[in-house]
Amino acid sequence: MTASTIGQNPSSFRLQSLRVLETLALLLIIAFIMLPIIWLALTSIKPREKAYSTEIVFQPTLDNFRVIFADYTVIMNEGTDRERGELGRDMFPSVVNSVVVSGATILIAIPLATLAAYAFSRYSFFGNGVLLVWILTTQFIPAIVVAIPFFTLFRTLEVFGSPLLGTRLGLIIVNMSIVLPYAIWMIKGFVDALPGEIEEAAFVDGCNDFQILFFISLPLIRPGVLVASVFAFIMSWNEFLFALIIGREMRTMQVALMTTRGALGIMWELMAAAGLVVMVPIFFLALFIRKNVVDGLTMGAVK
Amino acid sequence: MRKKRWVPWVLVGPALLIIVLTTIYPLLAALYFSFHKYNLRRPAQFAIQIGENGIHIDWNLLSLNNYALAFNDSRFINSLYVTFWFTVISVALSVIIGLFIAVIVQKGGRLHTLTKVLLIFPFAVSPALKGFSWRFMLNEEYGIYDLLIDQLIVAPINALLSIINALPLVEIPLISESIVWLGDKFWALFMLAMSETWGWAPLIALMFVGALGSIDEQIYEAARIDGANRLQIFFRVTLPLLRSVILIVTMLKTIFSLKMFDQVVTMTGGGPVRATQTINYYIHQIGFVRSLDIGYASAMSYILVVVLTVCAALYVSLVLNRD
Repeated sequence: MTASTIGQNPSSFRLQSLRVLETLALLLIIAFIMLPIIWLALTSIKPREKAYSTEIVFQPTLDNFRVIFADYTVIMNEGTDRERGELGRDMFPSVVNSVVVSGATILIAIPLATLAAYAFSRYSFFGNGVLLVWILTTQFIPAIVVAIPFFTLFRTLEVFGSPLLGTRLGLIIVNMSIVLPYAIWMIKGFVDALPGEIEEAAFVDGCNDFQILFFISLPLIRPGVLVASVFAFIMSWNEFLFALIIGREMRTMQVALMTTRGALGIMWELMAAAGLVVMVPIFFLALFIRKNVVDGLTMGAVK
Repeated sequence: MRKKRWVPWVLVGPALLIIVLTTIYPLLAALYFSFHKYNLRRPAQFAIQIGENGIHIDWNLLSLNNYALAFNDSRFINSLYVTFWFTVISVALSVIIGLFIAVIVQKGGRLHTLTKVLLIFPFAVSPALKGFSWRFMLNEEYGIYDLLIDQLIVAPINALLSIINALPLVEIPLISESIVWLGDKFWALFMLAMSETWGWAPLIALMFVGALGSIDEQIYEAARIDGANRLQIFFRVTLPLLRSVILIVTMLKTIFSLKMFDQVVTMTGGGPVRATQTINYYIHQIGFVRSLDIGYASAMSYILVVVLTVCAALYVSLVLNRD
């Protein structure tokens, strides 16, 4: 069919059909991105009888959340979990673990990264450039190589009288290997963008290096430090391999997801509920640093 | 300038120390382990012994046996193939779909802007959860993806095939509507790569959106005046201008794909019949789940380190030599 048979100006017809195609493509992209997320959200509020079907009409319930946070009465009343030989899973300690590990990781990593990033940006010292690139390449080390020696080390290394394996402290230590390099690069980007004249003026006025750093520069790069903190928090929150190998029974939420496996396979309604607990807080954080995620992940290589 | 020489070292020192301890120490230790017979089930003997007479090195305890073992282990060779194909499929799909998304959303418009905001969401979903959710949605009985694939892709193709079959020319067998996605060797690996693509294509799109935005509008204008159509502009103008960014992104995604581990655990568990056992997954199985052979696991992970070092060198040279 040609455009003239419609009786329209051919160029405007082509333009309109292009626009329709573009809208369709956009809707397809939105569906591609959002479907898994929406489906998890729907499943998490489905009653158990409906969770194992593709039905989308159901009476929403918060029972699944009650079960993963071990409100036993719900299970007792239903009786269904008993039939499966399962009781509620107390995931609350795992939420605490995730928050403590990710929180402590950034509390240690971000101040150190900020100082280092400032030095890399503002001082030229021997090995400056090489060190920066080397820090970047540490991110290409497979996590399993880091995990193996720390696993054997932490089996015997004792802190406060007990081995570090299976402790939050052990997990925080290995998390440094992934968080610090990204944080240094991200914060360095923000320091680079800061004009140096203010610091020069402070120097002329008689401030020493540390006065300039703490009273002039740091307050100015605070937004950047905040962005890097959020990014580091997300990385550490979503980390799985270390949590599995080093954290072990001290389960973070990522590992706790695996405990939704019951005698008859994974209980998807519980997995979905736990999944929502894992991802929804991160959605807000990710939206907050939306514009900086790419710079963070690529360490500024794609600009 | 003002700067005192020792000041930067004081600032960099603590961070550098921790990075060295958490990356260089394990790299050296794993290399050391890889030359030993070291199984968690038995007390290990190490070559370097510190005794009363100082440091003593027992060279007999060092060997390349673990490396020889790796290249004679059909399961390790299998994991190399699996990792290779996973990387090829996931990188190709992520970069191509990412580029497609970027080109579409890059223009203004309300729906475009909304899509651009939504692109960040898959990044927020942890890889472990990604694996679980895809496994759920691909379930052959109640999975939403399974239903959609059957209804929107398989059914129309089959309808077309039956029309062709109705003509007395050829007989083409219809596609089965009951494929168990994660129970089939090919489809399990493909779907694993698809779940990776779901997480990465939107991020890669965001990387390209930035690069596309920096292309001067006048270049397109000139191409249009010369009579180029949209496809020609894309292939002859946009793609060549994006060349260096595409290379960098491809290399970066290759590295991330080679390191992938989480989804194998939560989505396929390496199955069916080892069809999705990537190197990382196999190392984890050997070192921590099955034989607890730390020496062997270290040797295999070092082979991965060598591959990644080559990729890292390529990546760094791409970034440093960028136009």
